[in-house]
Amino acid sequence: MAGDVKHDYHLVNPSPWPAVASIAVLLITIGGVFTMKPEAKLFGAAGFGNYLLIPGFLLLLYTMFAWWKDVVKEAEMGDHTPVVGIGLRYGMILFIASEVMFFVAWFWAFFNASLYPALPIEQGAFWEVFQNEAAWPPQGIETFDPWHLPFINTLILLLSGTTVTWAHHAVLHGDRQGLKNGLWLTVVLGVIFSFVQGYEYSHAAFGFSGNIYSATFYMATGFHGFHVLVGTIFLAVCLGRVYRGHFKTDHHFGFEAAAWYWHFVDVVWLFLFFAVYIWGGA
Amino acid sequence: MNVKRLIAGAFVALTVFFGFAATVSAQERVGQPKDGGLWLIESANEQAAKVSEFNEALLILITVITVFVFALMFWVMFRYREKANPTPSKTSHNTFIEFVWTVVPIGILVGIGFWSIPLLYYQDVVPETEFAIRVTGNQWNWTYNYPDHDGIEFTSVVVDDATHADPAKRQAAEKSLSDFLGRPAHFNARLLDTDNRLVVPVDTKIKVLLTASDVIHAWTVPSFGVKLDAVPGRLNETWFEVDEVGTYYGQCSELCGKDHAYMPIAVEVVSKEEFARWVEQAKAEYADAGTVAFGR
Amino acid sequence: MAHADPTGWKRWVYSTNHKDIGVMYLWFAFIAGMIGFTMSGLIRAELAQPGVTVLPAIFNMTEDQARHMFNVLTTGHGLIMVFFMVMPALIGGFGNYFVPLMIGAPDMAFPRMNNISFWLMPPAFILLLLSTFVEGNPGAAGFGGGWTAYAPLSTSGHTGPSMDLAIFSLHVAGASSIMGAINYITTIFNMRAPGMTIHKMPLFAWSVLITAFLLVLSLPVLAGAITMLLTDRNFGTTFFDPAGGGDPILYQHLFWFFGHPEVYIMILPAFGIVSHIISTFSKKPIFGYLGMAYAMAAIGFIGFVVWAHHMYTVGLDVDTKAYFVAATMVIAVPTGVKIFSWIATMWGGSIRFTVPMLYAIAFILLFTVGGVTGVVLSNAGADIVLHDTYYVVAHFHYVLSLGAVFAIFAGMYYWMGKMSGKQYPEFLAQIQFWFTFIGVNMIFFPQHFLGLQGMPRRYVDYTDAHAYWNKISSYGYMVTLVGVLLFIVVMAVTLSRKKTVADNQWGEGATTLEWTLSSPPPFHQFNELPRIK
Ligand code: HEA
Ligand code: HEA
Ligand code: CUA
Ligand SMILES: [Cu+2]
Repeated sequence: MAGDVKHDYHLVNPSPWPAVASIAVLLITIGGVFTMKPEAKLFGAAGFGNYLLIPGFLLLLYTMFAWWKDVVKEAEMGDHTPVVGIGLRYGMILFIASEVMFFVAWFWAFFNASLYPALPIEQGAFWEVFQNEAAWPPQGIETFDPWHLPFINTLILLLSGTTVTWAHHAVLHGDRQGLKNGLWLTVVLGVIFSFVQGYEYSHAAFGFSGNIYSATFYMATGFHGFHVLVGTIFLAVCLGRVYRGHFKTDHHFGFEAAAWYWHFVDVVWLFLFFAVYIWGGA
Repeated sequence: MNVKRLIAGAFVALTVFFGFAATVSAQERVGQPKDGGLWLIESANEQAAKVSEFNEALLILITVITVFVFALMFWVMFRYREKANPTPSKTSHNTFIEFVWTVVPIGILVGIGFWSIPLLYYQDVVPETEFAIRVTGNQWNWTYNYPDHDGIEFTSVVVDDATHADPAKRQAAEKSLSDFLGRPAHFNARLLDTDNRLVVPVDTKIKVLLTASDVIHAWTVPSFGVKLDAVPGRLNETWFEVDEVGTYYGQCSELCGKDHAYMPIAVEVVSKEEFARWVEQAKAEYADAGTVAFGR
Repeated sequence: MAHADPTGWKRWVYSTNHKDIGVMYLWFAFIAGMIGFTMSGLIRAELAQPGVTVLPAIFNMTEDQARHMFNVLTTGHGLIMVFFMVMPALIGGFGNYFVPLMIGAPDMAFPRMNNISFWLMPPAFILLLLSTFVEGNPGAAGFGGGWTAYAPLSTSGHTGPSMDLAIFSLHVAGASSIMGAINYITTIFNMRAPGMTIHKMPLFAWSVLITAFLLVLSLPVLAGAITMLLTDRNFGTTFFDPAGGGDPILYQHLFWFFGHPEVYIMILPAFGIVSHIISTFSKKPIFGYLGMAYAMAAIGFIGFVVWAHHMYTVGLDVDTKAYFVAATMVIAVPTGVKIFSWIATMWGGSIRFTVPMLYAIAFILLFTVGGVTGVVLSNAGADIVLHDTYYVVAHFHYVLSLGAVFAIFAGMYYWMGKMSGKQYPEFLAQIQFWFTFIGVNMIFFPQHFLGLQGMPRRYVDYTDAHAYWNKISSYGYMVTLVGVLLFIVVMAVTLSRKKTVADNQWGEGATTLEWTLSSPPPFHQFNELPRIK
């Protein structure tokens, strides 16, 4: 075996996780479809969705755990040389770029509906309705007061942006306690944000389905909320790693990636807050 | 020089071909495709004529470009084959030629634009029209409504193959179509004919208002130069004016499900007097059959 | 670092080796291509004569079922060819195998992620295939709403689980492509051999780099759009439902914002491959290298701002259309630069007409034909009579089936020796080329006439006046079938031969780094990075 590798790239060892993950994905998607449509039949069988969805989901979670565990192990073993570190940074930036484009789709839907509002048109009543004036937010939708819970949530997220920066400075200066404190605060703020968002949802004056306001509102803020959860978990994992003594002053990309991700989530929220809550809510 | 002659030759051939196609239809015009046809369906109005003219110009242009590329390629393939040119040159730059092949296409495209954009505005800006027709696409037929004529409304459904094939059924269907139109009518083509036809007067600007009741359809009549999607929840509008009395056909042009191929459009263009007569006759049977009139 | 190189099935399933993954992609693309090709055969068989006769006979179904079945076939054919044949072959296959070799890198930046990019493709394909067996339209199997899956036909129009499976199929294939794209960009930015500046990088690497950017920026928008389809279908949102104030046209905007870059995603790697082949067999460096690279960048960039040329008839306002006409036509300029630079590369060269070269030349010629009809379509005034007719079908098959696919064949012949160490049979391959070349032209050239004569696309049955050219087109399929079968024979003959191919089988014209390695290359190449002067 080629023992005389004279470069710093990371030639990763063969790994079962990609293939296992793809099996999990297959279970989740097929299971998902037949959970959403319990009556539907696949080759004569119906109602089995959950039996695929749940195991698939657990398998995926396990795979993610195992995979990233390998990554962390490799990082600690010194596989992540400086040049590999640059690669990881490119990777993370591009991943965030693709996430940005994903949100573009939801903002597109939102602006399409809010700049060119249309009245709901019932079956068979096409011709009359065009004469009326449509409005945004649509008639009968009572929106949230942006300066109430949403504003508090904005402050929470902005604050968490500063605490994660605090943690970053701490790691750069080798201040382990500061790192812990900053990360603890960020994670806690992230959790609070999610709770406030959940509370807000449960007190909404409009339901989830049936109109375009709800559709754009819930899907855009909902996907943001999902990203908050992911970001929080990412940060929490970093916190756990801190307790295990990971991260050095010059070698802590796992943490940096989490911070970048968190800032991205933060910025998306600002757009949501200004566009959906303030501009689109009045 | 050869190239020029070739183009001229092609142009003459095309003109002859179209001239011939135009004379084929002797009395009553029928706007429908021709077997083995090579070019656009013959135009029935200025709109379609302009599209056709533009298309013809584009065809000549792209033919010239393509022939040019092919000719260059074949010449290079011949001249610089390994046997003829064993030692390759090493040139890999020539700023002047690169400049030329960037600027010349730009010039050509700007030229196209000067024709294309005005045509687009001509087609798209709906002029003063005499009356409107509301068209609703359904899976899988068309509903026509005349809001300015007491809301005459009827639905137009394809004549199925069985009716086409069976002479007795066919006669009955043609009879019922003739009754509807108030004039003798017969079917022209499988998959193009419908039980009722949209009736409009000749030499009249007509506005078409379009929507759909289920999924997206597209209302198309090639010989009028008209194609527009019928979108649920939207109201699209376009217009046409036909120069010649006749029967014109089109087909739904947006995938709308299983019977997408079975919801043709048939338009009967009649003289203004005949149209007035038809309106009176149709009112008796179909007035306000549908929804409340719109835009009267 | 020491490495375990597993053998047997683990070598492939656990693979973190870009060459093995590339080979798996090529096999996958080949299998999917055969399925897509078979589906197109069923389409052409049904369209060989007026009336709905062939599908009912083959599948033993009623005419009514066959009408839906036809749409399912068209949809499946389009999706398979685009997502499961062209993209895996050009990007996943050749991209994986040759980008690291060309830039002097030992592997991809994220070898394990590379493997999941591949291994997500089979589940995606299984989902798509399953979708044709479950209910789509009430009472009929499969989704028949076109590869574009326009709402509301894809929401209220197909209530069964078929569409949901298709949606997830695209989600999964999309995730695979996004991860692949991130991998390529990182590899190309970060792992070029010392001295390999970006302006010395081979054009194929350039093309994959630009393609990867298009993927990263456009696929997530598609993911959003089809997620909206999913929630509209299953959770009562009304993004595309006017009854709730939604707008079906929104879907088209989102789809084509992805869809148009997607067509360049399929053609840019083809441009890259063709550049190398033309240069190799003319024994000349590529003419106007920088112009070639930046032309691709320009195509990619402009490709993002022309999407609504697919929507000229939906009722956009006239100024918007005028903008999209102008923007779309601009793309002809950088594309022209490429065409002419290829010819200029051959100019003064010493040209050898091997099979890859024949395919590359055919690519240039036929792509030009498809490109100029694209310019016709870009004019909204002309598109009004051509939109959704066979003219469009002819246009995009000329750029795809006679463009991208020819580049795949060209790449296969060009690199087969490098990948397998074995030489393809030249004469048999020439015959294979001519059958394919004549066949596909016979299929698709007459479709221009059908389109001009107004035959709409996605029609299971047509009026008798369209019979003549449809018949010719279907005969063309038979000729192509011979070509495709011969391709299988050629590949089988090649693979059963002994390894004989030299490191640089094409001689002095082939200058990129892959030709400095053995054929096939060692399992891990460039343990000592090459230095580029
Ligand atoms: C590989 C894929 C590919 C490529 C490269 C292209 C390239 C182009 N396409 Fe095409 N297109 C498709 C795939 C592709 N297309 C598909 C799949 C569809 C249908 C989707 C669906 O509805 O299902 C479609 C549909 C489509 C439409 C919509 C038609 C309709 O539905 O009504 C339009 C309209 O503008 C269009 C335009 C163009 C243009 C202007 C180019 C240009 O990029 C072409 C540029 C090239 C040249 C012009 C030739 C070389 C240049 C020269 C020799 C220089 C000199 C030339 C001039 C000055 C003109 N395409
Ligand atoms: C890359 C894309 C691609 C390719 C290659 C093809 C190839 C072919 N296509 Fe099609 N086609 C589409 C993309 C493609 N198509 C799309 C997007 C649509 C629109 C769908 C819709 O309306 O929704 C369409 C629609 C379409 C229609 C219109 C259907 C309709 O409107 O109802 C027809 C009709 O004749 C047709 C025919 C064919 C034929 C005969 C072939 C071929 O048989 C031609 C010959 C092909 C080959 C010779 C290649 C075979 C390749 C391999 C075997 C793989 C090799 C791989 C490796 C070696 C790695 N296709
Ligand atoms: Cu209605 Cu197609
Ligand atoms: Cu396009």
